[in-house]
Amino acid sequence: MSDRMLTMAEAVREAMSIAFDERPEVFLLGEDVGIYGGAFGVSGDMYHRYGSERVLDTPIAELGIVGAAVGAALSGMRPIVEIQFSDFTAQAMDQIANQAAKIHFMLGGALHVPMVLRTPQGSGTGAAAQHSQNLEPWFASVPGLKVVVPSNPADAKGLLLSAIDDPNPVIFLEHKLLYKIPGRDPVPEGATRIPLGVSKVVREGKDLTIVATGIMVNKSWEVAEKLAAEGITITLIDPRTISPLDMGPVFESVEKTGRLMVVQEGPAQAGFINEVIAQLAGSSSFGSLIAPIKRLAGMNIPIPYAPQLEKAAVPQIDDIEAAAREIVKNWR
Amino acid sequence: MSFKYPVVMPKMSMTMETGELINFHVAVGDQVKSGDVLFEVMTDKIDMEVEAPADGVIESLVANPGDVVEIGKPVLIMLTETEVMAFDFGAEDEPVAAVEVIAAPAPAITTPVAPAAPVILNETVKAVPKARVEAANRGIDLRTVRATGPDRTITMADVNGAQLDPAIAKRQAANKALIAKGIEMTRGIAQASFTRSVNANFDHATFMAAWAKVLRNRPDLAAHEHIGVALIIESKYGSALPVFRDPDQLTIADLAALVASTTDAAKNGKVPVAMLSGATTTVFDLTTYSMSSATPLLFPNQVTSVTIGYESATTKIVSLTIDLNFCDFYDGALLLDALVASL
Repeated sequence: MSDRMLTMAEAVREAMSIAFDERPEVFLLGEDVGIYGGAFGVSGDMYHRYGSERVLDTPIAELGIVGAAVGAALSGMRPIVEIQFSDFTAQAMDQIANQAAKIHFMLGGALHVPMVLRTPQGSGTGAAAQHSQNLEPWFASVPGLKVVVPSNPADAKGLLLSAIDDPNPVIFLEHKLLYKIPGRDPVPEGATRIPLGVSKVVREGKDLTIVATGIMVNKSWEVAEKLAAEGITITLIDPRTISPLDMGPVFESVEKTGRLMVVQEGPAQAGFINEVIAQLAGSSSFGSLIAPIKRLAGMNIPIPYAPQLEKAAVPQIDDIEAAAREIVKNWR
Repeated sequence: MSFKYPVVMPKMSMTMETGELINFHVAVGDQVKSGDVLFEVMTDKIDMEVEAPADGVIESLVANPGDVVEIGKPVLIMLTETEVMAFDFGAEDEPVAAVEVIAAPAPAITTPVAPAAPVILNETVKAVPKARVEAANRGIDLRTVRATGPDRTITMADVNGAQLDPAIAKRQAANKALIAKGIEMTRGIAQASFTRSVNANFDHATFMAAWAKVLRNRPDLAAHEHIGVALIIESKYGSALPVFRDPDQLTIADLAALVASTTDAAKNGKVPVAMLSGATTTVFDLTTYSMSSATPLLFPNQVTSVTIGYESATTKIVSLTIDLNFCDFYDGALLLDALVASL
């Protein structure tokens, strides 16, 4: 095990580089991914290391970018698409939802679409309503797409390698605020894969189960650390892949703690995290609950531009801490 | 000699607090027989005729037709020869409860309740899922559990607090399964009876004190704050059931005197009103009839019932019936054993 502490941007770049080295059919395309190094610096020096044939700068035309990638994938390539902001996937949605997701199934499995679509999402950068959304439920509700939401550099690297291996489309949603933050855990050297569809129990406790996605895993971790000092211990579960979703660890944990809180940044209404609640409510673990399920999620509003309002629109550490205390204190 | 007996506004439903007096069927001075209609009452749910609880004479009309009368408040006063007919099977002290029992017999208790805990019968119950699972496993009726959680929801702490010790709970759960397998139900209550011979001579006072003492060690057997031993006394007016409250806390001499005077009074159809309520167990002495044993019947809201039978000049037979919803065969055997040992 290495002790390298990378940022998520570095870890993603490392995974892409390993895939580039492993397979000549892997290439990257997107707006400003080449000479500029990516809007968030994720591709960095890859243009210079791999050249303009494998790191393609594209016009500002998301539908065309994804369409080209789908076509390349059908032709035996393994494209990695970077969409500059996940909000812009709306432009490309026909290629994503109606082509990439469906082709394998509509042709009886005769063809594959081994494409990865990476894109940054989330609020906190002061970029306002059209550049701050969390759109994971769009993708998670389309059968045929796998959806990955990494919360840390080590997972991002291992999951991205598996996503590139996958014979059909994977949507890879990276939170912008995580790009520049080193993870808590070192990133292993080499091509270590993390399988898709396996939830990670980040830490174990006895009083409360928190299921969180993306950046909310980090915020929940902070809360768990703080409350542990007071004797409230939390099991924190990061699904990592939200489609397919691995609920096993959630059921197991809730059967021990009896309390469940779910946390996501995206809006509460019809949000992905509701799927966790629904599956638990319909499972035999339901009878283990000793408290109502608590949901913390973004408000049902477009992300505001004003920094204070932007912050107030999504769960913050204090919100998670207060909710965790309340559920443990009130329900015994 | 006659007694004043107030006939009160009866409680006819769980939610009833007052009733409207529609009209009287009797006038002052009328001679009435037990069962005669005295007056009619209207509530939001039901109209009902209130009957005379005993033979007697109408002494006065307290309320007026059209009045809205609180439950338990007198509507008319009767003069009766015998007050003993207004039996109270274990409800609370006020006459209102006695009337309520007559109007609609209280449902048999089917669930264990922590000692002295108030019994709360919620129409609907809010409980966390695990509380429901636990309650079902342990045979707890959630309607009897006090909710302390947010929005009056029953939490796990509430269910655990309402529970007896785990060993008892486990036996009750096993017992419940047994009941389900078809133990004969008597009056809707699964029950079991036990009999033992006793080589001892004892009077009613000694017996009741001993029995109360045995029961006092098992506060989980009833939700009552006291032990009320009803002693069945036959008289020419029928059976009287004067209740001796906490007889184990009187001296035997005082208790013996009380039993003697009460028995005399009961045989003349006179039992103090205060002794007509609060029974938690019943004792029936068959030795006066030279009967050896009879199956003691459980009265509503009572978990135990005992008979004393005649076997020989020196030997008596004590029979005990228990409500299997509260205790099992093992409990019953222990209770009878303790009772016999203390005699």
